[in-house]
Amino acid sequence: MTPLALLLTLSALLFSLGLLAVLTRRNVILILVGIELMLNAANLNFIAFWRYGPPEAGLTGPVFVLFSIAIAAAEAAAGLAIVLMVFRHTRSTDLNRLDSLHG
Amino acid sequence: MIPLLLITPLILLAALGAVWKARPVHAALLLALSLSLIGGLYLMIGAEFIGLVQFMVYVGGVAILIVFSLLITRPGDEAEEVARRPRSVATGIACVVPVLGMLLYAFSKGLPEQGSEGAAPSLPIKDLGDRLFTYDLPAVLAVAVLLTAVLIGAALFARNFDKNPEPPADS
Repeated sequence: MTPLALLLTLSALLFSLGLLAVLTRRNVILILVGIELMLNAANLNFIAFWRYGPPEAGLTGPVFVLFSIAIAAAEAAAGLAIVLMVFRHTRSTDLNRLDSLHG
Repeated sequence: MIPLLLITPLILLAALGAVWKARPVHAALLLALSLSLIGGLYLMIGAEFIGLVQFMVYVGGVAILIVFSLLITRPGDEAEEVARRPRSVATGIACVVPVLGMLLYAFSKGLPEQGSEGAAPSLPIKDLGDRLFTYDLPAVLAVAVLLTAVLIGAALFARNFDKNPEPPADS
């Protein structure tokens, strides 16, 4: 197995674990944990292709990762601020109890 | 290649713990461990700058933010979480396995015949900065606007949070 294939397999497994967390967890904050894992899997792909892929790509991979990390930080901050607002109103972060928009 | 083979299962185990642990704080701490190991992986394969950014932003920022959010919110019922786990995990795995299969199939079919496994391509910070503030300047400005909007939004949330405190619920 080449290093590129190893890193891509790792990123596929990380993405799947993150997706599993998003689908099975009921705590909103732990769903954000799954989303962070999925974002890291994508970042790992960019770095793996930059390091072991064709050299013509230049700095595109690391630049994409820098933007991705900045956007992930913003997403986490905004998401957790929303979670805290929701917690203030419902006193819970359990998704099963957040059904006030349910028709 | 051998360091990669050593760190890869550690990353996967930490991520699996973050997904599997019923206690939320343990899950968040294992996420921090997983993110640290990914940062270490970046350092190992020659992307030192990205590895340091990963440590500072993800481990020092996002993971700690998640831990503090868990500390100031009330965790759910762990026994209830464990009780309903088999059914939800079975459903989740049924959804995840096709996605994983497609990803692995795409990677196995679409990889280049031979990659560059020699020395890491150079990642000079000066070139990165030149590129960010010339060719990618519109994207940098867009991210700056996004981060400012998030900062203002979070400050507004925090202000409202303080202005209308509610008494903690009984029990």
